[in-house]
Amino acid sequence: MARNSIMNKLYNGGPLFLLYYLCISEIDTNLEKVFEIFTLNFQIILIYFWVIKRPDIMANGHIFLAGLINDVVMGFPLGLSSLSYLIIIFVGTYVRNKSVNTTIASDWFTFLLAMIFSNLLFFSLLNNFSDLMFSFTKIGYNIFFTLFMFPVFWLLFNIYQTTFMTNRDA
Amino acid sequence: MSVSRDDFSIAFRSALLQRGGAQKFSVLSLTFLALVIFFIDIYGPKITKPVRAFINDVVYRITYLASTPTRVFPKAGDTISSYMNIREENKRLKAEIEKYKSLELDVEFLADENKNLQKILETEYFNKNLTNIVLAKVLVDKDSPFLKSIIINKGTKNGVLKGMPVTMDNYLVGRIVETNYLSSRVLLLNDLNSRIPVTLDKGAQAILSGSGLTNPILEYLPEDFDTVEGLSVFASGKDGIFTSGTPIGKTNSKGTVNLFVDPNQLSFVTVNLNIQNQGKL
Repeated sequence: MARNSIMNKLYNGGPLFLLYYLCISEIDTNLEKVFEIFTLNFQIILIYFWVIKRPDIMANGHIFLAGLINDVVMGFPLGLSSLSYLIIIFVGTYVRNKSVNTTIASDWFTFLLAMIFSNLLFFSLLNNFSDLMFSFTKIGYNIFFTLFMFPVFWLLFNIYQTTFMTNRDA
Repeated sequence: MSVSRDDFSIAFRSALLQRGGAQKFSVLSLTFLALVIFFIDIYGPKITKPVRAFINDVVYRITYLASTPTRVFPKAGDTISSYMNIREENKRLKAEIEKYKSLELDVEFLADENKNLQKILETEYFNKNLTNIVLAKVLVDKDSPFLKSIIINKGTKNGVLKGMPVTMDNYLVGRIVETNYLSSRVLLLNDLNSRIPVTLDKGAQAILSGSGLTNPILEYLPEDFDTVEGLSVFASGKDGIFTSGTPIGKTNSKGTVNLFVDPNQLSFVTVNLNIQNQGKL
């Protein structure tokens, strides 16, 4: 019984651990070496999915902290990634409050909105308050591939949720 | 109509202010906190800089530790495969030694000639002040679509300052853009924010601009200049930051520059402490 409880806690903590690990480690989802234009923002897919499906396992404070760590590692002004992640949480929570049943299509569409708001804020602040230059083409590719890959990760996370995680009401 | 507007405002307010259960902080309070941190980091007083440098140092060390598995496993695979091919490699290396022995005499002659020519031209010989070169280990090499940079394990403690050139095997890699007490960030040549004055084989001057991709591009070349494949690109040193004559790469058929050092394969680099110390920046 106790063993089961520990395993459940580990499985439930998996997405949060993955978020922290992606932010703090060298592992990146910039796969330009594989395919020249292929980059995606995996963190926001991860956050959006779990905020919609299981907000109890991804606390806002943790996401905020992960954003700060991401800024330090990537060399962005502090608080920028946190703000962008908080926009994702906000849209995700709003969608969850307004909808009863969600499908992959509805989640995909609302994810596009969340990503647009989040990236708009991120690059507006970066453009106006830092000296960093960035390519709009690259941002376009990044948004496209993040959106394109969302259903794939949606299915993978769904499998993870149904296979390993306990029901929140249990 | 009013009901739907109420629904909207309730859902909106709830999304912003909801707390309870796992959520100890509301989105609104965290957004406010993030904005405060963001503006302090950008416009904050000087006192915040050491704090940020301390946070950077701590996080970079944790990143280095957290990334250990990603470094160890590929190396373990390489070690196994190198044991398998040890006999063939031995044969190949013997052949290479013979080749290099014959080239050694030529190199010695050319090095002497090069030194003499540099004396005539009164330029700096870039190996002259070897005591002021610091060897640094690459702590973090996280690739980003927007910023091409690496973190090294030498900082202001070792005399590293903003703007200092970074090389690997005497080939230019980039320059220091952020310094902390124990670590620094190096902006690589292929980053979109990197601009370096260079000289080409034929004596033409240009600016080497990072494109965000692996190969940087040459800008502001002379109007009638025809970029052919295989032209060597050196730092011109006109900016007073990079030592003139530091090799960078060779032009390719696409008109971009193939760097001598692959920016994705850096493990140890050297920082030239002379430039900033001389007050050239």
